[in-house]
This record gives sequence, C-alpha cells and structure tokens, in this order.
Amino acid sequence: MIDTPLIRFADVSKVYHLESGDFTALDHISLEIEDNEFIAIMGPSGSGKSTMMNQLGILDVPTSGELFISGRDVAKMTALERTHMRRDTIGYIFQNFYLIPLLSAYENVEYPLILKYKKRDESGKASAMLKAVGFDEAMSAHRPTQLSGGQQQRVAIARALVNDPKILLCDEPTGNLDRKTGFQIMDILCGLHSEGKTVIIVTHDPKIAEYANRTITLEDGRIAA
Amino acid sequence: MKDIFFNLSVRSVRLNFMRSLLASIGIVIGVVAISSMGMLGTNMQLQVKDQLSSGADTIVISADAVRMGPTGSSSSSSSSATGITKTQLNKIKLAVGTTNKLVPIYSTNTQFTLASTPGRSTVYGLNPDDITKFLTISNGTNIEGINDALVGSTFATNFNLKIGNRIRIGKDTDASRPVLRIVGILAPRGMSSDNVNTDNAIIVSDDWYTNQYGGKDIYRQVNVIVKDISTIPDVESVIDAKLNTNPKTPVVRISDASSRLSGITSSLSSITTFILAIGGISLLVAATSIFNVMMMSVNERIQEIGILLSIGTEKGEVRRMFLYEAVILGILGAGIGGISSLVIGYSVVSYMIGTTKYFFLPESIMYIPMGMTIGLVVCIISGLYPAWKASNMDPIDALRSE
Repeated sequence: MIDTPLIRFADVSKVYHLESGDFTALDHISLEIEDNEFIAIMGPSGSGKSTMMNQLGILDVPTSGELFISGRDVAKMTALERTHMRRDTIGYIFQNFYLIPLLSAYENVEYPLILKYKKRDESGKASAMLKAVGFDEAMSAHRPTQLSGGQQQRVAIARALVNDPKILLCDEPTGNLDRKTGFQIMDILCGLHSEGKTVIIVTHDPKIAEYANRTITLEDGRIAA
Repeated sequence: MKDIFFNLSVRSVRLNFMRSLLASIGIVIGVVAISSMGMLGTNMQLQVKDQLSSGADTIVISADAVRMGPTGSSSSSSSSATGITKTQLNKIKLAVGTTNKLVPIYSTNTQFTLASTPGRSTVYGLNPDDITKFLTISNGTNIEGINDALVGSTFATNFNLKIGNRIRIGKDTDASRPVLRIVGILAPRGMSSDNVNTDNAIIVSDDWYTNQYGGKDIYRQVNVIVKDISTIPDVESVIDAKLNTNPKTPVVRISDASSRLSGITSSLSSITTFILAIGGISLLVAATSIFNVMMMSVNERIQEIGILLSIGTEKGEVRRMFLYEAVILGILGAGIGGISSLVIGYSVVSYMIGTTKYFFLPESIMYIPMGMTIGLVVCIISGLYPAWKASNMDPIDALRSE
C-alpha cells in the first residue's frame, strides 16, 4: 500500500480578486506533511501564512491546484463534509483564543463534543481534557472574560483536543501571552506531538519555531525554505 | 436534552435583556391589539345576534313599496304602496295554516303631548288578542277599552309614566286630539328582528287606530310567528307562491330574522376584520423591531459566529441558534401579550359593550391564542433573514471582524 501523506499541497494557488487587482496569496505551493510532524510556518506579514492556515483548516479552498487532507481533495468535498472534517480531524488554536464568550470554560470544551455526538457530554471527556491542561472544577465554571490570557489559551487547547483530532493548527498560539506562559503552552503542544498529534504552528518567533522538527518559510506566497 | 444552541440563545437574550424586552413589548402590543379588537368585534356580534334572535321565529311580510303592481290590476294581485290588503291577508292565513300565529300590524308615526311636553313616536295598531302573542306586559294590563294604550319601557322611563297617565295624540293644530289612557307598560325588547320596535312606541287597539288614521284592512306588515323555526323556509315559499304570482313583479316582501341577521352580522364581521387589520399593523411595527434586534444580535456576534463555524458548527445549527432567539422573544412577547389581552380585552369589552357574558365563549376567547400564535409566527418570520445571514457568513471574514 502506498503511504499517502496526511496533508498534501499539489501546486496550490490562492488568488484574491480585489478592486485594485488580483492578489496572489499562495503561489503554486507544493508541500507534503506526514503524520506526527511538528511544523513551524514562518514568514513576514503578507507572506501567505494565514492563507495557508485557512487552507489547512479548510476554511477556504484553493483557486487552483489540489489540497488533500487525510487523502481527500478538499475542493471536491461538500460544505457539510468540510464542516465535519473541521470538527473531527482538525483542532484549531488561535492567537486570540476565540472562546465562545457566552459559554463557561467547561462548556467551551464540551461544545465540539456536542457538535459531534449531538448530546451533552456524559463521558467526562471535557472535564478530563480541562484537567489535563491544568484546570480544576471551580475554574471550569468561569466565563472566558473571567480568565487570564494563558488560562484562555489552555481552554482553547482543551477545546481543540476534545474530539481527538489528527491535526492541531496553531495560529500564533503564544502571540498574546507573556514569555513564560508562552513556553508553558509550547510545552503542552510538545507533549501532544509526542503523543502522536501532527502539530502545525504559525509563528514570528524563532524561539517558538525551534520546538518544531521542520520549519517552512514563506515569502510572497512561495516556499522560500 | 438541553440543546446547547438553545442555551446560547437564552444567554444572548439574557445578556441583552433590556433590548430584547423592548422588542418583545412590540409583540405584546400587537397581540393585545389583535386579541382585544377581535374579542370586541365578536362580543359585539354575539350581543347583536342575541338581541335580534328574540324574533327568530317570525316571518315579516310587508308590501313591496317599490313595485306598485300593474296599473288597473285588481288589488288582490298587487299591493297598494301603503300595505298588505285584506285579500292578501286571507291568502297569507291560508298559506300559514292554523299552527302558526298571524299578527297583522298597523303602524305610523305620530306627535303627542304628555302633560304639556310634546313628543313624537311610532304608534302600533294591534288586535288586543295578538298583543300577548309576542309582547310581554311587564306592568299593568292589556288593552281592553277603545282608548286604552300600552307604551314601551324606554318611553315610560323617559316620560316618567305611570299606569293611568294620559297621552294626547296629534299636533297642537289638529282639530281632534284624542286622549289615550295608559293601561300597561311593555317589557324591554331591544332591537327586535321582527320590525316591531316597541321600546319607544305607543301600542293601541286596531279599532282605535283605524278610527284615528283610517286605512282599515291595509296593514303596514303582517307577522307570522311559526311554531317550528325549521319550517320558516317552507312557510315562506308557500306565502311567496300564493302572493307573488308573478316573480318579476313581487307584491309583497317576505323576510325573516335569519336573512336580516346574516346581513347585520356580516357587516359587523367586516368591521371586526377592519379593526383586526388595524391591530395587525401594530404587529407589523413589532416585526420590524424584532428584525432590528435580531440583526443587531447577528452583527454584534459576527466573530462568535466565525468561531462557531470555524470549529465545525453546521450552518443549520447556527441558523437554529438565531431562530431560537426569535422564538424566545416571540414566546416572551406572546406570553405577556396573552395575559395582558385577557385583562385588557375583558376591560375593553366590559366598557364598550356593557356586558362580559359572551367574553369567555370559545368564539370570543379564541382570539387570545390566535393573537399569540400570530405574534409568535411574526417573530419567527422576522428572525428568518438574520438567522440565514448568520449561517451563511464566511468564517474567515467573520473571525477577522472586531
């Protein structure tokens, strides 16, 4: 059996049609990412990092070329299939945490389980996940606005992991945290990588990139290194 | 199971409680307007129906005033413009048989003087034996002597009349002004469907009437009081066949309470529909306000919608969340509106109609659940577009919005 990579960009381009003219955010990218890799994506602002993350998170589809995730061409999937893949295969961790403000920490973590199983969590998975990122029961009842940045990012990691995704996409996960908390978060991500997750992290910080096994540098929508 | 999307909607409504409440008040007003107006109209209809149905067993036969009959024809086949002739009366007698009661009625308007106060009213001339067939004497006795008279209840109250008082009939200038002695006062009849409205009238014997006004055996109308209401159509058709021999030129007009009732109730129902439409306008205003609040809710939560969509929430689930919000506003508005309708509707009906005896009848009270349902449906419809807009957002754009 041929070993297919977990993620494969095959000559992927993403062009935005703006009033000022076409803007090529990704320019003929070809790239393969294997299972259980730890990848850092670096590059200056406007180099195409966010566009690449949106492609990986299947929030967007390529203008040309093909992107395969878990062997499936995302452009050929229906909107509902893409939604389900986002829910089941990908865990997204954002720079701004993006927790749901109306829900408590526990409910934020429980939310993807409800999306998947269409019922409240009775397995204790959400609590276990929060415990794993250092949250006790009292803190779990807090709303996001009552938590510090580091605490919010821990909740976001727990939420990203609760459906046991293969891929963890981290968009500047330490960008809004102090250095010490940032390294704590990176330690958690390293631990997840050693447990078998594929971790893809976008960062400006070379110190953070050092955690990765492979660094991909983007420049003007192309892979520079 | 407690739906997390319902939870989110409840929390969103709670977070913006004042705004949500104000939007719901629009629905409350709409529901109250529709329910109260509907109940008012229905109670009015029911009351009128009740008042008119007192003469439901009566067929009224009057001369067709428009058609005089062909020139030179005999009086047996055509009516004079003034009334039903004796020949026609005999034919009616034959047509209705002996089981049904026949009441020939003279009537005109007259001036009179009571003490020194002048007045004007209707005078009915009736055979004293016929009076008790359809009228109730609440005070005094029936007409016995030629100069005896009965008066209606309102008439008696207005002039503060007592049994034994006298009325002088006719204008001041008339040469002969006969005096009538009041021997009895009739019970109130209201607006009666048999065309005999006695509340404000004077009732005299047929002999006195024809002595005073002439026109013997030319009746203004003949009432047939049937024994069994279901026979009305048959009796009417027999009378019609006997008297209106030429369908193109009918000589008498035959009507009954049901035809008049349906005319009046259909007018009242048009009025009810009209006032309901006015109530509907307030719901339209409420719909705009709900729409506005829902759009505000969507616009304030764009980033949240982006988060939901990016972590795998289906479009339908986002739609559901916003529709729940509309439903919550609707239930809030319709619930408060329903309770308020009961209180306000009851007060309005009691004040405007003077009685609430029809208020709790199904045809009246049903306007409350109807108003509530309309309010709820209006809310849901107002929430459709905002919910659709939320679910169709581009997650990337939504996440970027501040």
